[in-house]
Amino acid sequence: MIEARELCKNFKDKKRGVVKAVDHVSFSCKAGEVYGLLGPNGAGKTTTLRILSTALKPTSGTAIINGTDVTVDPQKVRSQIGFLSGNTGLYGRLTAREMVTYFGNLYGMEKQAIRRRSDELFALLDMKDFADSRNEKLSTGMKQKVSIVRSVLHDPPVMVFDEPTNGLDVMSSRTIVDFIKHCRDSGKCVIFSTHIMSEAMRLCDRVAIIHNGRIYREGTVNDLLQATGQNNLEDAFIKIVGE
Amino acid sequence: MQLRNIGTIFRKEVKDTIRDRRTMIFAFVMPIMAMPLLMTVIFKIQMGAVQKIEHARSDIVIQNIAELPKDLHDSLMADTSLFQVKTEADYPGKNLLDELKQKAFQLLVIVPNNFTKAIELESPTGIEVYYDRGEELSSAAYGKLDSVMTCYRDRVVESRVVKRQISKDVLRPFDIQGNNVASAQKVAGKLFGGIIPYFLILTCFLGAMSPAIDLGAGEKERGTIETLMVAPATRGEFVLGKYFVIMLTGIMAGLMSLASMTIFFRYMASDPTMKQMAEMLAIQFDMRTLFLILAVVIPVAGIFAAILLSISIFAKSAKEAQGYVGFLNFVLVLPAFAALVPGVELNYQIALIPIVNISLIIKYAIAGTIEWKYVITAFVSLFALAALALYFAKRWFEREEVLFRM
Repeated sequence: MIEARELCKNFKDKKRGVVKAVDHVSFSCKAGEVYGLLGPNGAGKTTTLRILSTALKPTSGTAIINGTDVTVDPQKVRSQIGFLSGNTGLYGRLTAREMVTYFGNLYGMEKQAIRRRSDELFALLDMKDFADSRNEKLSTGMKQKVSIVRSVLHDPPVMVFDEPTNGLDVMSSRTIVDFIKHCRDSGKCVIFSTHIMSEAMRLCDRVAIIHNGRIYREGTVNDLLQATGQNNLEDAFIKIVGE
Repeated sequence: MQLRNIGTIFRKEVKDTIRDRRTMIFAFVMPIMAMPLLMTVIFKIQMGAVQKIEHARSDIVIQNIAELPKDLHDSLMADTSLFQVKTEADYPGKNLLDELKQKAFQLLVIVPNNFTKAIELESPTGIEVYYDRGEELSSAAYGKLDSVMTCYRDRVVESRVVKRQISKDVLRPFDIQGNNVASAQKVAGKLFGGIIPYFLILTCFLGAMSPAIDLGAGEKERGTIETLMVAPATRGEFVLGKYFVIMLTGIMAGLMSLASMTIFFRYMASDPTMKQMAEMLAIQFDMRTLFLILAVVIPVAGIFAAILLSISIFAKSAKEAQGYVGFLNFVLVLPAFAALVPGVELNYQIALIPIVNISLIIKYAIAGTIEWKYVITAFVSLFALAALALYFAKRWFEREEVLFRM
């Protein structure tokens, strides 16, 4: 479903010169699997996910999403993925329904399909009471639900979550975590980035430790714990990065 | 590039913009209110000041009044609302010139000894008048006195001619009759045509400004830009969808201001205090002029929309965008003053300069003296610039450094 091949992304920075934000990153993720990118801020997680979701072009290397090369047909890739990040915003002056409909249209969905699917998702996420209120009036948790519906409306086979629980309270985080599980259980290929180790332990089938733009080690959580001889992921992470 | 996507983006942005109170104020309320408010205030103040000066009674001190010829004396005394005549006896022991400078009165007339006699004997003589040109009341008083004196002098000349048994026609060998061939519209256009394009261009810019900031930098500020970048519409479709909304509000703002001005001029003609001004302006937009003005507003809005959108998408936040736009306002709207500068005429070179050409075309159109070859030249230049700016906006939208400059 997702296959990253030797992805590199360089940025030019006035002070630091050329910065290798992503440095020869390769991994793969199958349908029905949650793959975690685990690393501190500035490790290259967001950049990697932005390349996968075609917001950025890789400097070299490529990624294949559901059979389509991101560098060859980014438009097609976009219709295959759902994207959600912790700081995703909403259009405050639109209602949840209007916002979701807008994206449904952009994803080329038919009017009835948008209506049917959004009603279904509003019911699933218990959003019926505020589906027609303006987004600016909603609480953080409600907003996050709107974002979820927006990301999954077109029923993409691949889901990309960039630090999805960043800045959320416990209840909202729980909604997101449940939603990620729901995606996995319905057979989607899920890639997700976080710097919260406990979240990675709970959710990920496999994780990659990413630091300074490079993947240090990859495997199931148990693999990493065993390989480092630690009993929690945080210590394993420090050990791996410190080596 | 799919029309369906552009339409989707356009409709969404229109809905979003209509619900934005700040944009509505800039695009509709302000263009409607600005011109009438400003003009009313300026007119009332100016007309009030003019009336105050013209109708004020001037205090005038005549030194040696006994030597003033009776005819002239009576003329000065005739209308007490015009002059209040005093003499040096009213200011005993004072230096009259100093008193004039201290604004104790507006004019000082010094009649020489034997003035009446000199006139009777037809020997050369003169009369001295002191006034303060730095004071409007004093200058106005001097003007009034001058016309009274000149009339008196004409009467003296006439009587001398008659005394010599010569026809007084000899004094006026011919009359000059000046006939104005310009229509009232042309006069109004030349006098006033400059302010209308200025207002139009300014309101068009302000109308486009607010949605432009929201549709570009606003996406970054809200954190929605990333979701757009991963949606399957192309960058070009986003640019066009947004562009047309910004252009539309710019055009709407221009139209609102034009409508407001048209109605305001009608109203002015019916208001007694502004009637004089209205007659001088006599602005009547005929249909052809209106269409031409509408036609030029479109490319102007097109240029503004493209430039504003480019800048807005570059900015990290609405605040940063506002900073750039403030400067841009100065650069883009300043050339609109061209039509207010006397002596700037349309020619092929000037017709190529954006904004300057627009303001002159509108001015000429109002005056009814438009030349189509310049209009066509200007349109070619404007559309070329609008297309270039739009192309630039699209390129800008495709650059990662710009989109993710956060």
